[in-house]
Amino acid sequence: MKTSSELRLAPGTVITGKWNRGRYRVERLLGEGANGKVYLVEHSRRLYAMKVGGDAVDLQSEINVLRSLASRRRRTEPFLLAVDDYVHRDGKEYPFYIMRYVRGSVLHEYLQREGADWFPLVGYNLLGKLAELHEAGFVFGDLKRENVLVGSYGRVELVDYGGATAIGKSVRQFTELYDRGYWNAGSRTAEGTYDLFSFAVLCLHLFEGRRLLQLTKTLLPQNRSPADLIRLTTGHPALKPFAGWLARALGGEFASAREGAAAWQRIMYGGGVKPARRRRSTAGWAAGLFACTMIALAAAIVWMISEGMLPTGLS
Amino acid sequence: MRQLLLITDGCSNVGMSPVVAAAHAKAEGITVNVIGVVERGESISSAEVEIEEIARAGGGMSRLVNTHQLSQTVQMMTRKTVVTTIQQAVNKELRQVFGAESVEALPPDRRGEVVRVIDELGESSPLKIALLIDTSASMRPKLAAVEEAIRDLVLSLQSRSGRSEIAVFHFPDSENGEGCVCDLDWTDNIAGVKRILPRLAMRGTTPTGPAMMQVIDFFRQGDYGRTIRGEMDGMTGEDVV
Repeated sequence: MKTSSELRLAPGTVITGKWNRGRYRVERLLGEGANGKVYLVEHSRRLYAMKVGGDAVDLQSEINVLRSLASRRRRTEPFLLAVDDYVHRDGKEYPFYIMRYVRGSVLHEYLQREGADWFPLVGYNLLGKLAELHEAGFVFGDLKRENVLVGSYGRVELVDYGGATAIGKSVRQFTELYDRGYWNAGSRTAEGTYDLFSFAVLCLHLFEGRRLLQLTKTLLPQNRSPADLIRLTTGHPALKPFAGWLARALGGEFASAREGAAAWQRIMYGGGVKPARRRRSTAGWAAGLFACTMIALAAAIVWMISEGMLPTGLS
Repeated sequence: MRQLLLITDGCSNVGMSPVVAAAHAKAEGITVNVIGVVERGESISSAEVEIEEIARAGGGMSRLVNTHQLSQTVQMMTRKTVVTTIQQAVNKELRQVFGAESVEALPPDRRGEVVRVIDELGESSPLKIALLIDTSASMRPKLAAVEEAIRDLVLSLQSRSGRSEIAVFHFPDSENGEGCVCDLDWTDNIAGVKRILPRLAMRGTTPTGPAMMQVIDFFRQGDYGRTIRGEMDGMTGEDVV
């Protein structure tokens, strides 16, 4: 079997496409997917992400998915920009494609850095992405923390479409922990409910990672069940409001990701979510002082306006 | 499409060479994959070479894994072999239609359609996989993992749209230690099967070659009276990955 693991592109390497002669300068390695490695590259002074694969057929399947997604949402910025082959010095050829570079951090790092307050919104955005994909006729398949990038203000982007599968076919790639077959909770047929199950496990992994992994170590294969997962939904304060939602997703009860997203949204704005307690709570006297300052400032502005001291653009 | 998956942890020591048997399988249009199961700290370096050679002669692939990776490896090999088999058949067509040697030789904008066909055939072509399990003494602690991998494979096969069947064999047979026993005849559903592999103490011999020959024969018996032979021939390429 050919794998891409042999090929390592050092920063500074310039790659020229065999067919279209596009030149791309490697900046650094961004990550590794199932079908190849993803690099940050520079082309005509702009940054892109480049996926280099070891197997042309595997990579092309992925490209086919991206193409048919692109044909469905014409108005958005294109995700897939070029497809070509790279001829290495040793004569071996590696297929690659160029895609939009998504700035962001992987899901768990984002939540660790920005705080669990962002979880309901990020979750909702992710469900929206999944719904969009399902409505285009595909299931994501290999949903896991590493494949979800979060950008500014909780914007979500799915990366690595290696597991994306046409609805009704068998899921092409999956990760055991997130796979409903592994938990004796259903088939590996690509259905919306498959991704929603993975989404629920993803939520558990974010806040109950240790207990989740403990389950995989202690339970015998035939004893794994969604009931074990459902028990993990009530422990953590960030998950608790969504416990009922998660149980439904683990039970395959949502007809579609869109329906799941709507139910998620109702919980999000239904008052069930309590803001996480601030780590450094502002002391009362500081808040008081701040309020006084603001009143003084407002008074000053009112005075300045009445005296005509502000530039015309501001008044 | 026909595959033989050998799961073992040691060298063969009785009867015909398994490399020869694998070459026989390939001649019959059966791809042979081999998984060597090792536990942490265990070394089977002597068997490693044999495992590689069996796979090479059988047109398939080989891997050394520990029991935790077994399910995933079985899945990966099966899927990869399906794609490769289809690809070889498609490459033949490509030579005739486009004059291109392979999918890779086509310009990227023409690969899409070919790969769509490969994916579609890979999903819908009938598939038969015979699993041949080494149950000699050193394999015994690993058999629970093997059984789990088999169940996991069946679960994946059930979501294919094409007919997918497995059969399971173990060796050595306890009576004379020179062949294999069929534990499960061709089936696509093992939900009702409580235990696939026997948990009895086995004799010390490892007749890998003779056991493989029996499985090849089993494949042939399954073909009697069927007319799909001609159809299958197109699927058996001569190229080895």
